[in-house]
Amino acid sequence: MSENAAVLRDVTFRYANGEQGALNSIDLEIKRGECVLLCGSSGCGKTTVTRLLNGLIPHYYEGELSGDVSVLGRDIRITAIGELAGTVGSVFQNPRSQFFCVDTTAEIAFGCENMGLPEAEIQNRIDKTVTEMHIEKLQDRSIFNLSGGEKQKIACAGVAAMLPELIVLDEPTSNLDLDAIDELREVIAAWKSQGKTIVVAEHRLGWLEGMCDRVIFMENGGISAIFSGTDFFAISTEKLNDMGLRTVHTDCNYLESETGLHAIKPYSGSEVITLEGFTYSYGGQDALDIGRLELPVGSVTAVVGHNGAGKSTFVKCLCGLQKRFRGTITVGGKRLRSKDMMRLSYMVMQDVNHQLFAETVLEEVMLGADEGSEAKAEQLLEKLGISHYKERHPMSLSGGQKQRVAIASALLAGKNLLVFDEPTSGLDFRSMECTAELLGSLDSDVTVLIVTHDMELIDRCCTHILHIENGRIQQVVDL
Amino acid sequence: MAGLFTADIENRGLVLDPRTKLAVMITLVVFALGGAGSDIQAVAWATIALSGLPILLLATARQWSKAAVFGLLYAALKSAELLLVPHLSGAALSVVGVCCLIFVRLMPSLIMGAYMLSSTTVSEFIAAMHRMHVPQQITIPMSVMFRFFPTVLEEFAAINTAMKMRDIRIGGRNAGKLIEYRLVPLMVCSVNIGSELSAAALTRGLGTSVRRTNICKIGFHAQDIAVIAASAAVYILWMLGLTGVVK
Repeated sequence: MSENAAVLRDVTFRYANGEQGALNSIDLEIKRGECVLLCGSSGCGKTTVTRLLNGLIPHYYEGELSGDVSVLGRDIRITAIGELAGTVGSVFQNPRSQFFCVDTTAEIAFGCENMGLPEAEIQNRIDKTVTEMHIEKLQDRSIFNLSGGEKQKIACAGVAAMLPELIVLDEPTSNLDLDAIDELREVIAAWKSQGKTIVVAEHRLGWLEGMCDRVIFMENGGISAIFSGTDFFAISTEKLNDMGLRTVHTDCNYLESETGLHAIKPYSGSEVITLEGFTYSYGGQDALDIGRLELPVGSVTAVVGHNGAGKSTFVKCLCGLQKRFRGTITVGGKRLRSKDMMRLSYMVMQDVNHQLFAETVLEEVMLGADEGSEAKAEQLLEKLGISHYKERHPMSLSGGQKQRVAIASALLAGKNLLVFDEPTSGLDFRSMECTAELLGSLDSDVTVLIVTHDMELIDRCCTHILHIENGRIQQVVDL
Repeated sequence: MAGLFTADIENRGLVLDPRTKLAVMITLVVFALGGAGSDIQAVAWATIALSGLPILLLATARQWSKAAVFGLLYAALKSAELLLVPHLSGAALSVVGVCCLIFVRLMPSLIMGAYMLSSTTVSEFIAAMHRMHVPQQITIPMSVMFRFFPTVLEEFAAINTAMKMRDIRIGGRNAGKLIEYRLVPLMVCSVNIGSELSAAALTRGLGTSVRRTNICKIGFHAQDIAVIAASAAVYILWMLGLTGVVK
């Protein structure tokens, strides 16, 4: 057995469909038992490296590959992806698209079943994995009733039960909150202590501190620098941001503050939107119970709280999307009921693909606008920096540009309460910075609420924090 | 979550073997839909009783509201057929008669279908196909397809919400494009999810030539025997009817 788990020699790869993330003559050795972090901005090629390691390239994603890739002593070109399955495990970004079964136990068993292991052996492995990962509570549950963090744990368990030697994780925390990330960290620590080789491609870095032996920094399809774990996590924030990387340490954790609305930046407006009767319950439980709250008009407010705290119920109510909701908002002396709130507010979803409908960007933003407001539309597109894309199909734009189109269409439809659901999940430093700048630069009559776990984004653009726990807030602190 | 093969395993009530469900389905198709033996009085009554079985099964799977709605609807149609139709004539007879004829015949099989899909999990389905010696090349693509539907439905719901917020609706300015506006994002999202799903499946060894194991426990229990006996009884009555033992 060689001491290397994976060796890449002069590897160059280009996707056949022109997808970003081509590699230019990469050389990389990953030792057995090592934990390696791949980082760099979007499109730098880190995901491509993970796909080489699990055989998805060249067997699933097509393109031109040159150079040698060997994984656990096998040439990936001639090793079928199914043969690698038992030795290389993969965890992906989106829990929604990596499940096959509707119940958790079947899901953990799925990989082993495909390997054709005997039933008794599979049962043994499930029991062992469940005990090791402390997920007894998650056994025999319906996948649809799990949180994002729990789903990601089941995905890890499914991989672990196959007893792979090398585990590849591609942005596993993109959809997770801070608590869930801590749990994932424990899973990885346990794998590390079992001597498994671990390769993680990530934007979020902080959670891997003290875990990685080496950090590989990639730019434009090449390896620009390799750090030891200790050296890397000692790099200053400014330097990291210069490299296009997200900050490792954020100073404050807003979840430790008292619940309620807090101003975190000087703010000069005086008008407020008054929310009253924001109570909502389902299944006999109070999901939300906020009697009265004043949101400053023109503020950028981060809505924070632990998973299940009622954040999404709150913003759904505010956008008039929650049925049977009876609260009201008062703005500029006008009192609006639930179904009228929709005329005022707009939610930009995490997957912005859900809300782009038209054939061109211009048509898209004009959909809800008054007739004859083309000039205004062009002006707004100019301001958002997307005016030269106005004849393009919205679906052909990048994620950040799509987000801008969605914002433009909401503003033109006369909406001035914008709600964002995790706008920076899975974004690298520069894209996060752009989103932050954009949200901070909207007109002063536009009020923004951002449901987010991204402390860096909050630091950059939010004027207020609304901390909700158990669907409740304490008395509102003076603005 | 009641969709295709997405039974909520935390709250599913009485579990039947998928093969039992299939047997009931075939029996319903033969007697209720196909009308076999309807000229024999005993078989006709047994068929009515058998048609109630899927409704009962829905109730045992704790799908109360579905069971109630289908039950009332079927009862109303069947009693219309039995009590009202003989007294009608002319145009009323053709309209009501044809409606009753079609729905009374179709409904039991449709309800059974709804029950089968909403009370079986993908793993049970694969296990049952495996036991019936259906080749892997057929079951695997089917199971991936079944896994794909609920996700597409979720996407569809999200797109509808977005359209509501944009005030794109029937009667609005853009009513003519409602379908196109739904399909474009739906297709983009489905393609993304489909390709991610396939990639995840491949890395976990789906589709290799190895013979798959299945740890899903399916098998015949008391409830299966009762249900199969009820279905078998109808066939027996039919045989007896054909040979002239019963009328």
